[in-house]
Amino acid sequence: MSKQERIFALGEYAAGGVTALVTATATHAVVAPGWDMALAMMVGGFLGIAAHLAIAMVAGPLLGMFPVMASGSLIGSYGGMIFGMRDSMQAASWVRVWIVSALFGLVVVAGVRLYDRALRSRQLADPVFEDIT
Amino acid sequence: MKDPTRDKWDRASRTYDLITWADERRYGAAKARLFSRMRGRCLMLATGTGNDFCNFPPGLVVSSIDVSRGMLECAKPRAREYPGVLSLLQMDAHRMAFRDAAFDTIVTVSTFCSVPDPVRGLRELYRVLKRDGRLLVFEHVRSRLGPIAMMQDLLTPISRRFGPDLNRDTMGNLARAGFRLVREENVYLDIVKVAEAFRA
Repeated sequence: MSKQERIFALGEYAAGGVTALVTATATHAVVAPGWDMALAMMVGGFLGIAAHLAIAMVAGPLLGMFPVMASGSLIGSYGGMIFGMRDSMQAASWVRVWIVSALFGLVVVAGVRLYDRALRSRQLADPVFEDIT
Repeated sequence: MKDPTRDKWDRASRTYDLITWADERRYGAAKARLFSRMRGRCLMLATGTGNDFCNFPPGLVVSSIDVSRGMLECAKPRAREYPGVLSLLQMDAHRMAFRDAAFDTIVTVSTFCSVPDPVRGLRELYRVLKRDGRLLVFEHVRSRLGPIAMMQDLLTPISRRFGPDLNRDTMGNLARAGFRLVREENVYLDIVKVAEAFRA
């Protein structure tokens, strides 16, 4: 992996972690234990997408629009729904909210990067751009 | 006459290089590999600010078109640096002022995410491409991964106001326009792709 690729990889993890932290913080601030779970999930998802869009505006030009968008959209939408569901069921501490959300963000970015690698490595066995006509 | 597409890209030309800074670094090698297949008289669609010219093989004769005057103004200095013959023309991909079968190679870079009627635009490419000519494509498309595709669908009404659609089926549109796809390669997930096609 080149130095540039390592920097982009670190940036993707940082952007994913920040997106998850902002999503979880906003959701935890809004959703309280006892909320209807479906409503909490919708609110969390909405807040997560808003957080993702705001962070993507800054991180996209620095790291690439699609790498930021692919993992950020998953973290924002699904993470927001999961965090909303959790906050409607239990009174988690802020520290736990931040640790779990950061972990969630990093895991999603790792999963997206692995999937990307799998999609591209599958093609290496198939020589690119050799005429088959 | 007012043209919303042209006006949008004129506005985008002011910040285009800034917004695509990282994309150029990430995908430059894949583009250079694709462009190494350029032969004969070439046409490039959606010139943008000309930041792809540095990835062209030297010594080609290239006509490079864009609908936006602002983009072409940004591309002028880069066109002058190209070690070959590169002419910039303001033209709409739906109605090109070239004769039939005029080009040996056509390259598109993030073009059919923005052309308002992509199949009509691709049929126009079909018209100006020689029978044995090749179409080289670098495009972003709708993912087949459900959650990401759903987000692309959700975000497209926003992205369309400032730039491209995120959820086009460009590989399917190639076939709809009459092209025969002979290669397709993922550059990032199954969203950013390079492909090669011939006239069917």
